[in-house]
Amino acid sequence: MSKKMTNKKSTRPTDKKPSRPTARIPRLYERFHWAQRVAHALLLVSFTTLGLTGLPQKYAITGWAQAMIKLFGGIETTRLIHHVAAGILMLLAIYHTLDIGYKIFVRRSRMSMLPGLLDVKDGIQAFVYNLGLGKRRPQMGRYTFEEKMEYWALVWGTVIMGITGFMMWNPLATVRLLPGEIIPASKAAHGGEALLAVLAIIVWHMYGVHLRRFNKSMWTGKLTEAEMLHEHPLELADIKAGITVRTLDPKTLRKRQTIYYPVGSVLAIAMLLGVYGFVSGEKTAITTVPPISSPVAVYVPQTPTPTPTLPPTPATGAAVLTWDGSLGPLFQAKCGACHGTSVKLAQLSFATYADAIKGGQDGPVILPGDPAGSLLIQKQQAGGHPGQFTVEELELVSQWITAGAQE
Amino acid sequence: MRKTKLFNMRQTRVLLIALGISLLALAALGLTRPVAASPAPSSAPVMENATCLSCHDIADITKTLPSGESLVLTIDAGHFNDSVHKNLACTDCHSNISTFPHPDLKAQSLREVSLQVYTICQNCHLEQYDQTLDSVHQRALAAGNTNAAICTDCHNPHTQTQITDPSTGELLPNAHVQIPMKCARCHSAIYDQYKASVHGSALIGDGNLDVPTCIDCHGVHNIQDPTTATFRIYSPLICSKCHTNPAIMDKYGIPTQVLNTYVADFHGTTVTLFEKTSPDQITNKPVCFDCHGVHNIKLVDDPQYGLAMKENLLAACRKCHPDASTNFPDAWMSHYIPSPTKYPIVYYVNLFYKIFIPTVIGGMLIYVFSDVARRLIERRKGVKHA
Repeated sequence: MSKKMTNKKSTRPTDKKPSRPTARIPRLYERFHWAQRVAHALLLVSFTTLGLTGLPQKYAITGWAQAMIKLFGGIETTRLIHHVAAGILMLLAIYHTLDIGYKIFVRRSRMSMLPGLLDVKDGIQAFVYNLGLGKRRPQMGRYTFEEKMEYWALVWGTVIMGITGFMMWNPLATVRLLPGEIIPASKAAHGGEALLAVLAIIVWHMYGVHLRRFNKSMWTGKLTEAEMLHEHPLELADIKAGITVRTLDPKTLRKRQTIYYPVGSVLAIAMLLGVYGFVSGEKTAITTVPPISSPVAVYVPQTPTPTPTLPPTPATGAAVLTWDGSLGPLFQAKCGACHGTSVKLAQLSFATYADAIKGGQDGPVILPGDPAGSLLIQKQQAGGHPGQFTVEELELVSQWITAGAQE
Repeated sequence: MRKTKLFNMRQTRVLLIALGISLLALAALGLTRPVAASPAPSSAPVMENATCLSCHDIADITKTLPSGESLVLTIDAGHFNDSVHKNLACTDCHSNISTFPHPDLKAQSLREVSLQVYTICQNCHLEQYDQTLDSVHQRALAAGNTNAAICTDCHNPHTQTQITDPSTGELLPNAHVQIPMKCARCHSAIYDQYKASVHGSALIGDGNLDVPTCIDCHGVHNIQDPTTATFRIYSPLICSKCHTNPAIMDKYGIPTQVLNTYVADFHGTTVTLFEKTSPDQITNKPVCFDCHGVHNIKLVDDPQYGLAMKENLLAACRKCHPDASTNFPDAWMSHYIPSPTKYPIVYYVNLFYKIFIPTVIGGMLIYVFSDVARRLIERRKGVKHA
C-alpha cells in the first residue's frame, strides 16, 4: 500500500534544539504524522482484506479459492467481509480528501505529491543508471518517482474500484441510466483492477519499502539523517535551508479555517451520505427463494387409486343382445378355458353358437326363451362355478336367453 | 354391486374341480408353452403356472374387497408370457398360495393388496429395492401416505416387459418413451406440462431419445425430494449432464457453454460455491429452472415463452428483482461469451486488462530487476552509493 496518504509538506525537524549538536544521537526527521500512519494502517488492513476476500471470488472455480471462501465462512460471509472492508476504504478516501483540502486551502502547503516531468526524468535516469549506462542515481525530493507512482496508482485504483463496486452493489440504480451490459463490464473491470493492484503491491511496494531496504518510517514516523540523505536528498537540503516550514500567522490561519470548516463539513456530510447510499441505497433482490413459474400440484393421479393389475373391461351393455355381438366373446372369456375347442369339460363347448345351443353330456344347457329352465342359468345361479359370471353378466345372459338366444 | 363367490365354495367340490382343471390345463398348455423351461431362481414351483392360469387367464374374474373395490384376478397369459417374468413361476412371488381355495386376502382395499405384496420384489431385485428405501416415495409412505409409489405402481409384475438392453444395460427405446407415462399415473399435471415442453414434445411427439425423461433428472428408484435446498444447488449439474455434451447438443445447434457462462456469472458463481462448500445452503440465486422453467421448459426462441424475447427475460428477472428496469436483463449476458459483437463493452474491458496488467507489472518487474542487479554489483564492488 502506498505509504503516502497525503502530500503533506509540513515536515519539521523534530529536534527543536539545533544549538546542542550531539554526534552520538542521530538526527531524526519526521516523515509521517501520526494521523497519516493510522490512516496507512487502516488502509493496509482494508486493502489486504479486500484482496483476500475479493480474489477468491474472481477465481471462484479454483480449489484454492473455494478453500479460502470456506475458511472465511462461506461465500455470503466472504462478501459481507468484503463489503465492510470496502466501507472502511471509502471512509478513508473521504478522510484523505478532506485532509488534502485542508492542506491545500488552509495551510497552502506545497503539493509535493503532484507528478511532473521531473519524475519522468528521474525514472529514466534511475533505470539508465541501473543498466550501467548512467553516472549517478537521480537526486529526489520529499516523494521519489517510485512513491508518486504508487500513490497515484492507488488513487486511480480506488476510484475505479469504487465506481465499479458501486455498479455491482447497486445494479438496479445503475442500469436506470446506463445499459445493462455495464454491470458485467464493471465486474470485469473490478476483477482486472484488483489483480493489477495486488500484483503492483507485491512487486512495487514490497520491493521498494520492504526488500530493498526496510523502511520503517510509516510506523515510526521518522527517518534518520543518513536515510534522508540517501533517499530524499533534495528535501533534506530544503529542510536545512529552512524553506520547508511555511509559517502562517494565526490571523490568516483562523480566517481560512472559518471558511474551510463549514465547507469541509458540508462536503463531509455529503460524502458520508453518498457512502450510506452506496451501501444501503438499493434492495436489489428478494431475499426468498424465487417462486416456481406456473406451479402445478404434484400428486394428480389419473385414476382415483393406482390399480395393481389390468383394469377390468367394462361390462357389455349392448341394446340388442346377440351371440356374435356380445355373448360369444363373454362365453369364450369366461367359459372357454374349460368349455372350449381344446378342452370340452362335460362335452360342453361355447366355442361357437352352434356348440353352445347343442349343449353337453346332460343335453342342452340353453333353452331359448326359458332362462329359468336352462341348465346354464341354474348352474350359474347356484354360484361357485370356476368360470363364474358376475351378477351383471348373468343378468345379461338371462336377458339374451329370454330374448330367444339369438345368434 | 358385483359379487363373486370364488373363495367361498364348498371344499370337496372345489378340490375335485380344481384338480381336474389343473390336469387338463396342463395337458393343453404344457405341450405348447414351456412355462417352466428356464428354472426359477427358487426351488421347483409348488404349482405349475398353467395350473394357476387355468383359472386366472379367464377374463374379468374379480373379487370384491371389503372396501367395495373390485380386485381383478385375471392374468392375461399372453401378456405374462411377453413379460420379463415369463420364466418365473407364479408361486415364486405368490409363495403363500399352494392350495385351492387360496388363503383369504387380508387386504381391505386395492391399495392394501399392493402394499402387502410389493415387498416381494426385493427377493430378486434387492439393489433396486434398497434404492427405493432412500426415496421420496418411501419417505412419504413411511409418513403414512399410502398413495406413495411402490414397485408395482410403475412395474406391473405380470406385464412388465424388458426395460434395459441385457448386454449394454441401457434403456430400450420403447421403455424410454413410456417412462413419463408411468409417472403421469400419479403426476399427471406435471406430465401435461412436460408434454408441452421442448423436451416432452420431442419425446412424445417425435420419439426423440436425446431428450430427458423424468428419471434423467429425478433418478429412478432413489428419487429424491426436488424441493430441498440441496436439490436446488445441484440442479445445474443435472441440466449440464446433457447440455455440456457436444455429442448431443451439436445435433440441435445448442451451445455447450451454458454451464461455463452461468458459473462465470454472479448467480452461477454463488450457486457453484454453495455446491462445493455447503450444499445444504438455502439460496435464492437462480438456477437453470428458475428462468427456463421446471417441467414446462420452452425453446429460448419460442415466440410466446422464449427467454430470447426480452419481455420474457425481464419477467424472469423480476421474479427476484421486482424493481428491475428494461435495461436490467442485459446485466445477464444470456450465456454468451463476450465478443466484439456480443457484449462488446465487457469484451473490451477484459481485453484492456489482458494487455494493461502484463504491461504495468512487466514494466515494474524490469525496473525492479535492474535495481536489484545494480545493487548487487555495487555491493560486490564495495561501492557506497550516494
